[in-house]
Amino acid sequence: MGTTASQLGKDLLSEYQELTFLTKQEILLAHKRFTELLTKDEKDLPNARVPMERILTLQELKSNPFRKRICNVFSTSEQKDGSLTFEDFLDLLSAFSDSATLEIKSHYAFRIFDFDDDGTLDCGDLEKLVNCLTGETDDTRLTAEEMRQLINNILEESDIDKDGTVNLSEFQHVISRSPDFVSSFKIVL
Amino acid sequence: MEEHHSVNVTSVLSDASPHSTLSLESCEYYQTEIFDQLPSIQACRPGRSRQGVLGVCEAERGSPQPGEKRSDGHPWTRAPRDKASLQPLRNLAMCIEAKRGARVRRQMEISNIGYWESWRRSQSINRKRVWAQMRGSLSGMLPWKRTLRVIEGRFGVGVKAYFVFLRYLIYLNLLHCALVWGYILGPTTFYGRGNSSKPWRFGSKDSFLQFFNGSSYLNQSPVFYGFYTRGSLNFPCLHTPLLYFAGILTILFLSLAMVVRRMTVGLKHTWLLGKRYSVNVSYKIFRGWDFTIQDPAAGTLKQSFIRNDLKLFLEEQSFSQREAKRTLGQRVRLYLLRFILNVLVVSLLGGAFYLIFFATETSLEECGHGWFVSLFLQYLAPITITFVNLVLPNIFRKISSFEDYSLTTQVNTTIVRSIFLKLASLGIYLYFLFKTTKALEQHQCKENRFGREICKLSIFNFLAMFFKTFLLEFPRKLVQEKYPTSLLARRLGTQSFLITFNVLDLVYSQTVSWVGIYYCPLLPLIGIVTLVATFYIKKFTVLRCCVAEQRMFRATSSSVLFHFMLLLGLLMAAAALGFSLLQEEVTVDKMSSCGPFGNGETLYNVTGVCVDSLPSLAQSVLRYMASEAFAVPLILTEIIILTSYVSRGRVNQRAILRLEDMLVTSSSDKRFLVRQHTTMLRLQRELRRLRSASFREDAAPSVAGKTSRPPPPPPENEAD
Repeated sequence: MGTTASQLGKDLLSEYQELTFLTKQEILLAHKRFTELLTKDEKDLPNARVPMERILTLQELKSNPFRKRICNVFSTSEQKDGSLTFEDFLDLLSAFSDSATLEIKSHYAFRIFDFDDDGTLDCGDLEKLVNCLTGETDDTRLTAEEMRQLINNILEESDIDKDGTVNLSEFQHVISRSPDFVSSFKIVL
Repeated sequence: MEEHHSVNVTSVLSDASPHSTLSLESCEYYQTEIFDQLPSIQACRPGRSRQGVLGVCEAERGSPQPGEKRSDGHPWTRAPRDKASLQPLRNLAMCIEAKRGARVRRQMEISNIGYWESWRRSQSINRKRVWAQMRGSLSGMLPWKRTLRVIEGRFGVGVKAYFVFLRYLIYLNLLHCALVWGYILGPTTFYGRGNSSKPWRFGSKDSFLQFFNGSSYLNQSPVFYGFYTRGSLNFPCLHTPLLYFAGILTILFLSLAMVVRRMTVGLKHTWLLGKRYSVNVSYKIFRGWDFTIQDPAAGTLKQSFIRNDLKLFLEEQSFSQREAKRTLGQRVRLYLLRFILNVLVVSLLGGAFYLIFFATETSLEECGHGWFVSLFLQYLAPITITFVNLVLPNIFRKISSFEDYSLTTQVNTTIVRSIFLKLASLGIYLYFLFKTTKALEQHQCKENRFGREICKLSIFNFLAMFFKTFLLEFPRKLVQEKYPTSLLARRLGTQSFLITFNVLDLVYSQTVSWVGIYYCPLLPLIGIVTLVATFYIKKFTVLRCCVAEQRMFRATSSSVLFHFMLLLGLLMAAAALGFSLLQEEVTVDKMSSCGPFGNGETLYNVTGVCVDSLPSLAQSVLRYMASEAFAVPLILTEIIILTSYVSRGRVNQRAILRLEDMLVTSSSDKRFLVRQHTTMLRLQRELRRLRSASFREDAAPSVAGKTSRPPPPPPENEAD
């Protein structure tokens, strides 16, 4: 009688509705999609974890350059292997849902972009971020000179307290001025 | 050795001195242990932490039962986040387990506070939930959600913005329809029309052709102005003419309010805030990725788009540097070139306007031709306008590429020129229409005539779009699919969806609809039909014929642009309407013989009668409001309000500057203190090591004679 086994209980469903931004239909759909990812044995386990490789086969994540980061951020696994339980999966969908607030979205965006998990976006993070955006092969990457110019530009604009990195509040400051961030930071099943 | 050691300590010190470079400094700053313990870091720290300070999720992960036990060092309990306790749980950025914990904590808190307070809180939560559900079900009723998502997934947010805009226009027209029914059509159907008007039926002598060019049968139909004569509803202040006018006015004002509202929402974000701080690159990076993209091909495309965009930005940066370095000769040559090209543009525009004038004149001269020729002549003016509007923007696009502007300026100049062309050609057409219809004989209903022309224009606009899709774009795509290697296919190239030009088309048709609504009240209905058809046709075009574009538009900035264009169109429509009404007043001798203001009535004397019938107080108030004396206080109040807003804005700006300064100082203070703390820690550790080492040496007399000497200094990073 685990959360991912068989059907979702009514109490659980309403609890999920309370704790996430998802509607009932969305939760049920998420549950359906998640159980499809489970193998036969895992279906009987109460809190089954789906390894990252299988999560990444989802159509919605397949062509996303940040897919591994997304899994890592939302995973509550102790091994930090990016595997997701159903609740982690709901967390992911909730943050990326239509009705999530800008604050939530920017918080998670920050964590996704913070590749080394140190709480700030430093030059290394920004470089990785830009590489993800432009494509990571050698011919799609920006040249070192371009990258330097770009990162200098970014820091000049958004690093308000001039400490050489972009922290969460600076990041949210930038994001809060772009309402279409909410519409593009979205993954709907 | 002694010397060596002291040098090492000073090197530690100097390493952390404020004179070191920024990167070194920040490196040092973020690698210190105390950094993890700063409250500001803990508040926004993700689950993982290095130094054993448990993060949000981390703390919850260990406990199998939600809310079983809570560690005292939990950042959420310590962090001063009062506003968080009132937020709905789903607004907290943590995992579900952690939210469960927070809920238990909140329930405990609620039991601590009084009954009344807990009831109030639960009520507010319930209310919020009901609202959220209502909003959810309302947004579920929006049509075409699925289609929009498919389009968004393949073509990005920009193209979706076009379709959302289209849907918005459909709503707007629906609203117009409702208003037209309420103000104009409804009263007329209930109370009937005047006895003098002819009955409305399909005469036997009306030919198909006449139906098509809308002369006889349609002339007396409710489609046009002439149908609405004064019926049995005949109070001094409530009769058909006044209702008619009020209806049109309401429609225009409501549209104005809606468009301005939509525009300011976007504008607030892009201009007022964006101007002060340029955060262009950060935008491009931080919200660069469109997470809705599902198609791998679209994903690679988006990546190449972002790459091009960034390269473009860097190029523009160096372009402006190059621009500053231009020599005088180069500058003169460039300006000369631009001047010549602008002359070319102006002459093209002039030619287009003359063509429209010529076509309008020819089409309004009626003479005996075959039915086909006469039908063609009837539609000549709309054909010309549509043709001009199809061809010239593309020419403008080509021209602006020669002008050596930066790319954004190029796009913008093209847009501005195209807007000008569209609206001006419409304006010219209307002007000549006014002039020529005024010359008509007395017994003809010239408002109907005018309405008919507008109707034709809007129908033809739609037909042009239809044929362009199915005779031009679709065959082009077919050629490319069937013979991808042929010369023709390579020549034609791939098609992309030019958002701005498509939006311009929409704005244009909406403007036509606004201009014509006075003469043809059922135009919104026609508008809804054509817009819905447009939606499906454009969906077909996008999904079937187009490939995603290299250069995509940002949704917000483009939606501001869309609504700004719409506003321009609306203003033009209002100006045209006002102009025509004024003209009617001036030429009283040639009063219209039909419609609500048929029997020698004008807007002025009808409203005059209405005002006279009101009680005296209301009368004097109205008369005062209409007089010049009212204008002075009105303008004064506006000035005061504006001044207060401007000064408030200035004060806010100054406050922002000061806060920014404060932020910089406090962060540098923080940095300094952290550094100081680290050096002190290191020194302490060094000293302890020294002391223990010397103690050991004291204890071991076998190494006697060297007691006074400290041991060799440890490697520096051992302290970390």
